[in-house]
Amino acid sequence: MSDFFQFLISGIAVGSIYALAALGFVLIYKSSRVINFAHGQLIAIGAFIAYALAAWLKLPIALALLAAVLATGLLGFVVERVFLKRLVGQPIISVIMVTIGLASVLDGLMYLTPFGSGNFSYPAFLPQEPLRLAGITVSYPQLLAVGFTALFLLLFGWFFQRSTLGISMRAVADDQMASMSVGVSVEKVFALAWAVAGVTAASAGMVVGTVSGLNQDSLIAIGLAVFPAVILGGLDSIPGAVVGGITIGVLQNLAAGYLNRFVPGGGTELVIPFVVLLVVLWFRPHGLFGTEEIERV
Amino acid sequence: MRNPWAQTGNYRTSYEQDTTIFATYREIASVVALLVALLVLPQLLERSQVLTLNFILIYAIAVLGLNITTGYAGLISVGQAAFMGVGAYTVALTAPYLPFYLTIPLGAAVAAAFGAIVGIPSLRVKHLYLALATLAFQEIFVWTVGRMPALAQGASIPVEMRNFLGYEIGFRNHNHFWYYVILFTLVLMVIAWRNLLRGKYGRALVAVRDNDRAADAMGMDPGRTKLMAFALGALYAGVAGGLLAYFQRSVVIEEFTLAKSVGFLAMAIVGGLGTVVGSLLGPAFIEYLQLSMERFSEWIKGSQAIQQIIPPGVDVASALLPLSFGLVIVLFLMFEPRGLYNWWRLVRSYFRTWPFKY
Repeated sequence: MSDFFQFLISGIAVGSIYALAALGFVLIYKSSRVINFAHGQLIAIGAFIAYALAAWLKLPIALALLAAVLATGLLGFVVERVFLKRLVGQPIISVIMVTIGLASVLDGLMYLTPFGSGNFSYPAFLPQEPLRLAGITVSYPQLLAVGFTALFLLLFGWFFQRSTLGISMRAVADDQMASMSVGVSVEKVFALAWAVAGVTAASAGMVVGTVSGLNQDSLIAIGLAVFPAVILGGLDSIPGAVVGGITIGVLQNLAAGYLNRFVPGGGTELVIPFVVLLVVLWFRPHGLFGTEEIERV
Repeated sequence: MRNPWAQTGNYRTSYEQDTTIFATYREIASVVALLVALLVLPQLLERSQVLTLNFILIYAIAVLGLNITTGYAGLISVGQAAFMGVGAYTVALTAPYLPFYLTIPLGAAVAAAFGAIVGIPSLRVKHLYLALATLAFQEIFVWTVGRMPALAQGASIPVEMRNFLGYEIGFRNHNHFWYYVILFTLVLMVIAWRNLLRGKYGRALVAVRDNDRAADAMGMDPGRTKLMAFALGALYAGVAGGLLAYFQRSVVIEEFTLAKSVGFLAMAIVGGLGTVVGSLLGPAFIEYLQLSMERFSEWIKGSQAIQQIIPPGVDVASALLPLSFGLVIVLFLMFEPRGLYNWWRLVRSYFRTWPFKY
């Protein structure tokens, strides 16, 4: 039984990372109906910028993290301005393909830096000894992951409920025409959504970096794991992103703990999110909290 | 009666005429000329050049399929390589017992069945969600093959065919023999494609893509149409996969990954969605782009002077491929969303009245 709780706890920690990554993803989808295939690349770039600042420029870690978050936010903003703004009104396939192409370009750019291959880890800033509670071990990076997600949720909650910008973003998500007619700048909202997505992606990348080290492939893979999380939670629901992310994380850890012994070669944790994705699409395509689309001719 | 050879445009006056494939005699002549050129071409080329051509033609078949699902029905599929893999593995498993003209259709049928299963969500949801369903299938496929002992866990499975009706296929004529088989199949598939999409079914696909509720009200069944689109797209991929298995003499999982699926989408877009010409130009463009990038990075690796400029730890050679590939996609979408097909169209319309001004 203590095994089960151990899997559960580490699942929640991994899931918080997915939730954090999914937040930004959902934000983009919610405001501009764009599915971002370059999210994994944003995550990786954020994490590597933080590493470069902390390890090469010897900035204090907190400052490095903050600077990297802002830089990735800026990158998201630039991507929207330069590439996606021109494609407003184009068919969905064009928009999706642009994010796929961007993912490829960003991959190539990362190969031009030393981060394209090999593993890196942040200078240690958390206690190495894990916490032990009733036979369950929790490492500090895992706590950090959960803490970060909780912090971002609180910030998002405040942002969307109280601030003018947040409320205008919700308005645009709800009805673009109506919000334009009351003076909300839809363009600004799209750009802002990408900037905020960059911020959350970078934070997710940094948390991954502290939990399990930095590696380009594994950071980018998180961008793919986001899809099952957001579909499970509902593509346009922010609480859904969190619930979906944590559920996927827990399922992965449970699968790794209980199913791997039955499969030659193991690795069920790699496929279980996609099985969930397919099953959700078959039986409940709008997810747990998503809004069901009702269309008229 | 005007001279049909001098006809410069489309003078169709009835529905009967509108369903014909070729508008002018010149179009028929140019297609025949292209076919003759393709038949003669390999005789003038080296074995390695024929190899590249073979890949292009095989990918063209897969992209044709993608052009049914994505180009005509508007359903984005990022699983085309997995469907190709289904066809290839079916061929690998049945090749020891059956001749190739049975295994390849069999592979295509199995792939089509998988396509229909993956397309099930299309009964309820639309474009974006479907892209994710195919993504899930793509990932599950690669994972499953990697863990099935019957499929060598994704390692190479040999597919041998030494002679065909007494004709010996050896090292020297392997590429050329398969070139003609692939070309023949491609022509068949193009004819099927054109005939399928100019009839009732193709029009239903377009109607469902543009507005499925309206199509429903007009008496088409959107769910079944979309499922059929998925199945047909996968069928083309299955044929391509089967041919690839024979031509490469083995089946390896690396040929059927997500990156390949994305590559097919890129080929379809660069070529021009929903066109036969684009299905040929797109794969050719992307393949030659990758080839030249590989040569370029070989050259960088070989050149001492450049190696000294590059700081250590920077891998220019492996950066070039994703960088050029991504840039091509993004630039085409931003500046020429109709793809190479549009350039072809411009050239053709220039020559339609040539040598006269108009």
